[in-house]
Amino acid sequence: MYAIEVENLVKKYGDFEAVKGISFKVKKGEIFAFLGPNGAGKTTTVHVLTTLLKLTSGRAIVAGHDVVKEPMEVRKRIGIVFQDPSLDRELTAYENMYIHGRIYGLGGNELKNKIMQLLKFVELWEFKDKPVKYFSGGMQRRLEIARALLHEPEVLFLDEPTIGLDPQTRSHIWEYIKTMKEEHDMTIFLTTHYMDEAEQLADRIAIMDHGKIIAEGTADELKKIVGNDVIYLKLEALEDVKCLKAEFIRGCKILPDGRVRLEVVNAAEALPKIFDLAKEQNVKIIEVTYHRPTLNDVFLYLTGREIRDEGETNTLASRIRVRMRR
Amino acid sequence: MRALTTMAYRQLKRFIRARSRVVGMIINPLIWLVFFGLGWSKVFDNPIARSIFGGVDYLTFLAPGIFAMTIFNQSFIGGVSVIWDKQFGFLKEVLVAPASRKEGILGRILGDSLVTLTQGMIILLLTFLLAENLKPSGILPALGIGFLLAVAFSGFGVSLALRMESMEGFQMIMMVLMLPLIFLSGAMYPIDTMPSWMKALAYINPLTYAVDGTRHFLVGESVTKFALTTDVGVLALLAVFLVGIAMLEFEKATIG
Repeated sequence: MYAIEVENLVKKYGDFEAVKGISFKVKKGEIFAFLGPNGAGKTTTVHVLTTLLKLTSGRAIVAGHDVVKEPMEVRKRIGIVFQDPSLDRELTAYENMYIHGRIYGLGGNELKNKIMQLLKFVELWEFKDKPVKYFSGGMQRRLEIARALLHEPEVLFLDEPTIGLDPQTRSHIWEYIKTMKEEHDMTIFLTTHYMDEAEQLADRIAIMDHGKIIAEGTADELKKIVGNDVIYLKLEALEDVKCLKAEFIRGCKILPDGRVRLEVVNAAEALPKIFDLAKEQNVKIIEVTYHRPTLNDVFLYLTGREIRDEGETNTLASRIRVRMRR
Repeated sequence: MRALTTMAYRQLKRFIRARSRVVGMIINPLIWLVFFGLGWSKVFDNPIARSIFGGVDYLTFLAPGIFAMTIFNQSFIGGVSVIWDKQFGFLKEVLVAPASRKEGILGRILGDSLVTLTQGMIILLLTFLLAENLKPSGILPALGIGFLLAVAFSGFGVSLALRMESMEGFQMIMMVLMLPLIFLSGAMYPIDTMPSWMKALAYINPLTYAVDGTRHFLVGESVTKFALTTDVGVLALLAVFLVGIAMLEFEKATIG
């Protein structure tokens, strides 16, 4: 059984196509991550799946109901933590929880107990009577997670759950997410531009770029696309860089910044050979880095760009787009 | 009903949390009442002036106007909180909830109206300390008129705010509309002595009927222009109309 089924989903803003016909399925009880740079269309997809935006074409079924035909049925069964804060800052943590519970049809002692249980889960119980505006970013995030769990959703959407948080808080939130999955068998749909986050949490990952899913699978499956260890060489000569050729080199690519990217089975063994080869060919190496494949390598391999770098420039671009839309 | 009561509860909670702001909200009408009202009341303290103001002293003439003005201002300003909710993201939380949006926004309007009415009531009670000839028996029915006015303009403020992206835009519209509507309402001088073009504007100004209706109860028939049924009828229709628009607007609302 699937918790989310999406077929050929397209979302346009005027002429701009934010999501260009994506299809994917998320199994029940699975953590599924959308990994990609900012502006890839991740948040737009979340907003369509949570009934906040109307899709342009295609079909999306969430928790067994069509997001276009039965938005109310979908809303009952989902919880969401938005990328940007969505709390009432003037009210206390408890009041935010209480209002959410009431709107979702809970009440009485059941609601009170649940609020207590969840605020304790995210370690905010002792701050329950403090107005949210005095909370740190991490505390607000935790409160939003607790709030999204209050009505026991079948599918939980987390849009960039740890964006802008310090490393400690991030790993803290990862723990909550893992616990939620294990204890409640909840389906979690996560978007992130942090590779470590996708790798740590997700059972399956879809890599998204420019409104399209360009690869999908478990972290290991995705890494197999790249396959080998990766070595980056920075050469003295920046112009006219050529690929090194040898039997043990499985792949070679010149990157736009002039670096040479080599794929080998075992980098530790290959490096001395590469140095010899460079000497033979009179090529001067000034910097070497190597590592086992990461999701970033996969992204680099598929798109020729890095997630992080792209992220920064694209944020600006997407902001400009947002302005223009209005 | 859940969405309605919950959203009303939220607006009331927010008001209680921000008590210090209440003082600020009350200061403005008090300035009008004391410096404008008390000042002119000495100038108009003669039989000829009294006959212009329906046979009562100026403060008594002005008092219902100040009450209506307070309610009108505050309920209109209430719309600003919708823009805050957009900016701080709480609106998304409401839009994604499996609850009737129409009910939710109605609850919000009713909650805001109760808040506004409380502020109006405080002003009204302070007015009684200054103006001597007001009828205490008129307080409760005057609050009824105030409630209709509050609901109507909360609805208007919410609809407007739903269409606006920025505080600045909303505040500009508010500034442009607020003073003319107050001057053209008969709150500060009688409609009958206005030039005819102004009179025409006063007739289509909803605030006119709120001021007139309040005068019915607080001062008496002698100073009113319309029948009480006209005042109440116009305000009730307007409230239903404006709230209806707000409900439809909110039903269609999406993000981004």
